[in-house]
Amino acid sequence: MKIKTALLSAVAGIALMSGAQADVDPSDTVSIVVPYGPGGGFDRAVRGFAPYFSEALGGANVITENIPGAGGQRGSTEVSRSEPDGLTLGIFNLPGFALPAILGEEVGYDLRELSWIGRLESDDYVLIVAADSDIQTLDDLIAVDDLIITSTGYGSTVLAALQITASELGLAEKDPIYLSGYGGTTDAIVGLIRGDGQVSMAPVSSVTPYLESGDVRALAMSGNQSLFEGVPTFAEAGYPGLTPLNLQRSIAGPPGIDDATLAQLRSAFMDVVQNEEYLEYARSIGMNMSPMNGADTAADISSSFEFYERFTTSLQNPN
Amino acid sequence: MLDSFVTATLYLADGVTLMYLMLGVLVGLLFGIIPGLGGATAIALLLPLTFGMEPEQAITLMGGIMGSSAIGGSVTAILLNAPGTAPNAATCFDGYPLTRQGKAGLAIGAAATASSLGGIVGVVVLVAILPMAKSLVLLFGPPAFFMLAVLGLVSLTISNNNMLRGLIAAALGLFIGFVGYDDMGGTLRFTAGIDYLWDGIKLVPALIGLFAIAEMIRLMVEGGAISKVDRNELGEVKGVGAGFKAVFKHPRTVLSGSFIGTLVGIVPGVGGTVASFLSYSFTVQSSRDSSQFGKGDIRGVIAPEAANNAKDGGSLIPTLAFGIPGSAEMALFLGVLVLHGMQPGPLLLIEREWSLLVLIIALLLATIASACVIAVATKYLIKITFIDSSILIPTVLSVALVGAYALEGSLGDVIMAAVFGVIGYVMIRLDYPRITLVIAIVLGGMMERNFIQSMLMFRSDWTGFFRDTTSLVIFMIIVMALALPVLGRIRRRVRNANA
Repeated sequence: MKIKTALLSAVAGIALMSGAQADVDPSDTVSIVVPYGPGGGFDRAVRGFAPYFSEALGGANVITENIPGAGGQRGSTEVSRSEPDGLTLGIFNLPGFALPAILGEEVGYDLRELSWIGRLESDDYVLIVAADSDIQTLDDLIAVDDLIITSTGYGSTVLAALQITASELGLAEKDPIYLSGYGGTTDAIVGLIRGDGQVSMAPVSSVTPYLESGDVRALAMSGNQSLFEGVPTFAEAGYPGLTPLNLQRSIAGPPGIDDATLAQLRSAFMDVVQNEEYLEYARSIGMNMSPMNGADTAADISSSFEFYERFTTSLQNPN
Repeated sequence: MLDSFVTATLYLADGVTLMYLMLGVLVGLLFGIIPGLGGATAIALLLPLTFGMEPEQAITLMGGIMGSSAIGGSVTAILLNAPGTAPNAATCFDGYPLTRQGKAGLAIGAAATASSLGGIVGVVVLVAILPMAKSLVLLFGPPAFFMLAVLGLVSLTISNNNMLRGLIAAALGLFIGFVGYDDMGGTLRFTAGIDYLWDGIKLVPALIGLFAIAEMIRLMVEGGAISKVDRNELGEVKGVGAGFKAVFKHPRTVLSGSFIGTLVGIVPGVGGTVASFLSYSFTVQSSRDSSQFGKGDIRGVIAPEAANNAKDGGSLIPTLAFGIPGSAEMALFLGVLVLHGMQPGPLLLIEREWSLLVLIIALLLATIASACVIAVATKYLIKITFIDSSILIPTVLSVALVGAYALEGSLGDVIMAAVFGVIGYVMIRLDYPRITLVIAIVLGGMMERNFIQSMLMFRSDWTGFFRDTTSLVIFMIIVMALALPVLGRIRRRVRNANA
């Protein structure tokens, strides 16, 4: 008898829930696509986020799905083309995933069309030189005539950040050599330390260990506030045009998720990023948390797009 | 340092930690044995499971995998002529002929012992040069990387019996390496509008095809079992002990293999495949009697196996000094560290010395433990070679294709493996060297990228390659490698003329 009652109430519960507009049920499985293999910054961000997101969604199963390939485009395209039921989401970075479209390439997604759930991380860029370099200030850098810049390859965010910086600092006229093609940001930093080139750039989270160890020195950084003692922001150094330069990691779903589901996902997202326990964990794994709600993220994406579009001509492949 | 060493050792002496280590060893061996799956896949699969562990437990688990997968891979290379992991490809040269002569036990015993010794030498060298790690890593810039790739290609071609066929295979490999998105030029090359080809032709599916699948096609055509020795004639399976002894009879091969492995391991991106091949070709070149190589010379098993386990020690150097991964496994391992709140970079070694010593000791224990497991299991493993092809072929083929799929869950990889299976079989029939093709694929991209980078740095002045000290030293080694066989031939001719 007891069992029968329990069953009945369960059935009634399910009927009630499916009748309601909240489309992500505790019995659903939400997958968050990481467009790279396991072990990288994106993977770390999602794996740390998933269990808390699951909790915020009332116990829905949240899994991390790695779909690497084509520099992140395979996974992103897959998210963008998935059913807009709120069960397939992905992590995107800006400007990384906006670059191909800005450079006129055909891509299977439009960042401005996606259903944005919220922003997790935002990392400012730091302009760096080797510790033993003669270059002490931005003015010293601008005075160098035969500049070699170490960077990752064409299509990478670091190269784009460097090209934008060079354009704003007026270095572009001197036709600097972009020593692109390093396997990763770290390789480009080590190339700089070795003396392959004189200057490079990297997001705060990547460069901090090398600044602390004293292998590299910062000349300036983007953003409104400097995180390092004695290092000016670009605005303080007289180049406010570079303040918006940053690297963001945000969660989004395919275009066309219905309002109720989107609202549910966004509020669950906000629950997670306001959870002290999560924030502490995120900091412990080296994430540069800078949460932003879904609506603001969507607006920010559009304005960032405009910022990068201004530099379209500077962003062509230097090699 | 000593303090941390004691802490690390005590940590590993704990029962639960040892359990994680053994789990890592068993998973590593299993993934190593299956062609296509390797240490990197095992780490990728287990990475999410380490979420709730203590950081050092996760490190121990990963150390167990890294220290054992190459030993597991040698088993399939020797028994099936299908390297379990890429670095075992060179082990096929002499390991497989030994199996066909009914001496699989000898080969596996030697491979396991040589791997352990190589692992130990690698770790000892690692600890010894750790204080200089930073300056060592800074020695290798784009010009040196380029020269190193040239050295690899040169030693590939001179170690072939038929230089023309070697050159053709290498050229084909370089060509295959060009396929995909070129992030320096920003162009797509030879992708024929197929999205899959954007990432280029990946090494592992190619390897599964060229070796595992091609070998099964051959077996299908030939029929019968792999071992050409009658099972009843063989009687008791023996030889593991003899393999153990054989290694100690060739200490020079073990040492040269270990040092080459460690040294190549230091260079990020080159990896174990090149290390074990260089070690093999060095042993062939420097041996007085090289007539038996390729036909079942035990030194041909010892040299690559010593190198591919020593490279783990070497590849930790760039990882610990600067946070640059030395290999695919190391890249994933860095992911494990990050997941557990450790930031890879120059400070890691200072801040978490004991945690990293846990890894180093775990690596050491894993190589020894996995060699013991293999030695015990050999008796049963050898039976594979007596299985009739009608059972063996479908089994290996399905495992190999699942392995190709498991890599990234991409059907394209499975198709690629099948395509390379056919290419591999054609190469076997026409007697073209498959490993030359594989290494050219590995080195091609690196050679091109570093050449362009060097020329940019030198502002198109090619003499820069001789002004960079490391690059110059490697260039001189290349000249020596080319001159030695010629000098040897001249000396022999003079001696014959005098006689």
